[in-house]
Amino acid sequence: MKIATMFSDVVGSFWKKPATVQYPFERVEAPTRLRGKLEWDPEKCTGCSLCSKDCPADAIEIITIDKKAKRFVMQYHMDRCTYCAQCIESCRFSCIEMSDEQWELAATSKVPFEVSYGREEDLAEALAKFALADTVETE
Amino acid sequence: MMLEMTQKEEKFIIPIGPQHPALKEPGHFEFAVDGELVTDATVRLGYVHRGIEKGAEARNWNQNLYLVERICGICSHIHAFTYARGVERLAEVEVPPRAQAIRVLVAELERIHSHMLWFGVAAHEAGFDTLFMFSWRDRETIMDILEGLTGNRVNYSANVLGGVKFDVTDEHRKTILEAVDFMEKRTKHYLNVVTTDAMFLQRTRGIGVANLQQAHRLGILGPTARASGVKRDVRVDAPYSAYKQFPIKMVVETAGDLEARFVVRLKELFESYRLIREILNNMPEGDLQVKRFPRRIKPGEVISRVEAPRGEVFYYIRSNGGEMPERLKVRTPTMMNMASVLAMAVGHQLADMPMLLVGIDPCFSCNDRGVAICNSKGDHDQWTWERLRQHGIDFYAEKV
Repeated sequence: MKIATMFSDVVGSFWKKPATVQYPFERVEAPTRLRGKLEWDPEKCTGCSLCSKDCPADAIEIITIDKKAKRFVMQYHMDRCTYCAQCIESCRFSCIEMSDEQWELAATSKVPFEVSYGREEDLAEALAKFALADTVETE
Repeated sequence: MMLEMTQKEEKFIIPIGPQHPALKEPGHFEFAVDGELVTDATVRLGYVHRGIEKGAEARNWNQNLYLVERICGICSHIHAFTYARGVERLAEVEVPPRAQAIRVLVAELERIHSHMLWFGVAAHEAGFDTLFMFSWRDRETIMDILEGLTGNRVNYSANVLGGVKFDVTDEHRKTILEAVDFMEKRTKHYLNVVTTDAMFLQRTRGIGVANLQQAHRLGILGPTARASGVKRDVRVDAPYSAYKQFPIKMVVETAGDLEARFVVRLKELFESYRLIREILNNMPEGDLQVKRFPRRIKPGEVISRVEAPRGEVFYYIRSNGGEMPERLKVRTPTMMNMASVLAMAVGHQLADMPMLLVGIDPCFSCNDRGVAICNSKGDHDQWTWERLRQHGIDFYAEKV
């Protein structure tokens, strides 16, 4: 039996750098495989909606503008996303990626968590459609 | 779940919990004491019942992979692993050997971080915060590796049905081997600390002894059972996945006290280090996933069990041929080990209770799989889904 078996660890630590990092002043680079914010490429999408069906958190909505012309818009609810990357696995056309840079996603309001992806004209059309639907409903 | 709570008169009862009885999870214990000695113990669990099993019936096979991952915050991979293994057997899909090896690699890395986490918590409960700080600093090495390998520190999401998501590159192999060397050196030091430090041994040696007969009678699982001399480890008894090619040696101690539980868990780490090196040096070649995994799974039922860091995790999965499981039943090791705390508590000092509780490495949120309702007379009573729903409606109507 001994006493103070951790003594050398404690004394040795006086001459060592702290194990912690002074975030946010100091940053450790995130690993390349880190699963951050989702990114969607509308060019390759065929609108199969498997990503949306398999999403365990109901974070993805694929809105169809014109199925024949392959015009789709993705509504990404970042606040619901659990960053599990099942959508990447489910997508057969590699439209979805997860950023390893955008992971500091905290915000003080809900607004930045509603992300829309798509071609500009599709987004505008989707917005117009929704605006129309809203007015119809209120009438 | 709820064990019957009997309050006997003329006894002094000390309640511990539900907030943070020993670790940062909810559970309510009542210890009847005679002076400082505990004479009776009861437990009430169920504070973190989340209805995951019911929830699983409303999600498809892929979505459930991530739901079950959230049953436990520490052994997240092992739950997804067990589930995936069960569903793959149900669908009669053979997972490629490389994927199986990667799954076991992540499972062993997870075991290291889980045991190190427990080690820190247990040291903290013993009042040895220096050991707690240092062991958690070292645990970060493994967390960083898991983050680099899988993309997340805790919920790795390494599995998909029919394989894994990522490969292990040469770069990863190098960093993992370096980290394992470092961890092995540190674990040797920690093993020395827990077996020789006079102060620490006062808290662990001869405390909470569960002998072989008791361990068998109470059905204890995992490292807690192996510390009492029970030779029980799913990885050895029924090798699954890559454990068939990479067998593991069972670590058994016979003393059955808290010290033996420390020793078993730390010695298991050396086995994990050895296995990780072996897997990385003999990684099978091949695909990471099967070409196609069916969305609908043919009717049938299956059980799947694996050795989690805390003991055996057991899944029962039933399919009716649809896109969602008909029934998913989970049994986690803490459930089995909880009774041992109550049995061991009697005759010990009240101050030993947190240590005894931590000794089984409990995970309360894993535990709470079902709720039994006791009325004021203490009668058990089964409620139907409709009755429960009606009760909820009435309860809130009354409040408003």
